[in-house]
Amino acid sequence: MGTVEHLGRGAGRISGDLGDLVPSPHPRSRAPQQPDRVRTIVRGAGEALITLGLVLLLLVIYEVYWTDLVSAGKQEDATSALDTRWHDKAADDPGRQDHFTGLGEGDGFAKMYIPSFGADFQFTIVEGTTEQSLEIGPGHYTKTAYPGQPGNFAVAGHRVGKGAPFNDINLIQSCDAIVVETQYSWYVYRMLPLVEEKQGWAQAKGTDPKCKGVAPLGGPYAELDGQHIVPPTDGGVIAPIPPVGGTPPSEGEMASLMTLTTCHPRFSDKERLIVHAVLTKQWAKDPAKPDERPPELEETI
Amino acid sequence: MYAWIWRHLPGPMAVRVVLAAGLVVGAVALLMFVVFPWLEPVLPFNNVTTE
Repeated sequence: MGTVEHLGRGAGRISGDLGDLVPSPHPRSRAPQQPDRVRTIVRGAGEALITLGLVLLLLVIYEVYWTDLVSAGKQEDATSALDTRWHDKAADDPGRQDHFTGLGEGDGFAKMYIPSFGADFQFTIVEGTTEQSLEIGPGHYTKTAYPGQPGNFAVAGHRVGKGAPFNDINLIQSCDAIVVETQYSWYVYRMLPLVEEKQGWAQAKGTDPKCKGVAPLGGPYAELDGQHIVPPTDGGVIAPIPPVGGTPPSEGEMASLMTLTTCHPRFSDKERLIVHAVLTKQWAKDPAKPDERPPELEETI
Repeated sequence: MYAWIWRHLPGPMAVRVVLAAGLVVGAVALLMFVVFPWLEPVLPFNNVTTE
């Protein structure tokens, strides 16, 4: 019974409301000028805040999705330009030696693969680390070594948006392969031991067959770890002897390293995440078998 | 602001809706292609290189 009563009361109220909506012949007199202006200001402020919120939302979409789309197109263009160049130049270079001269800012010159990130992790590395170059893909620090050369082949890449090549770079583990393909060679770099793995490396992780050729480096490289976080001002990480900086006394003592840099933590540029790898193997491409790929690319687990 | 724009759009309802949609698309395009690309390098979250 109570329900019926309730419904009845409600219905009565609704009909009452409807009655109010019927235009009355004597419109309610407007409030004086003052409250109207207040209402306009408050409404204007509210609309401005809603608009600002929408613009910020759009900025997030731009950063995280839109730049990815734009960069994917640029990366594709760079890759096909590189493929064409490799194909055209192959005929007139009987020595089959990689040359990295005459590279302009933003020109692709190598491809990188991280098999443990999946078979589809592939990026064309471009020359230079300007904002424009990094929109295309991972960018090579122009003053550092090139793939396979003694020294430090250093590459920067975005972690958020712009294709985000180094999005998950913190998940790479020691001994994971970073394969670099050039016109005539495949270079297999592997991440160096982490600081906590260095102790007893030979008995522990070092026994993994993947870790052949990877061990804590001695001499001037004693302080070098596979992965670390540094302030943005620390340029030593891309020096021939990271992280302290400087150059070894002679070419013979210079290790062939690869260094990846990206921002840290994600969505911030407060610090830099650095990954160091050492060259463990080089495969020369066989001109008779152009589709041959190194076995390291199958390490997808 | 929005009410003011709506009042100043000419034509019948259908035309006003199309014009309003056009204004929204224009504003989004201006942000996406001009404002954000300019703003982006200034913002502190996508510098990946060391000095």
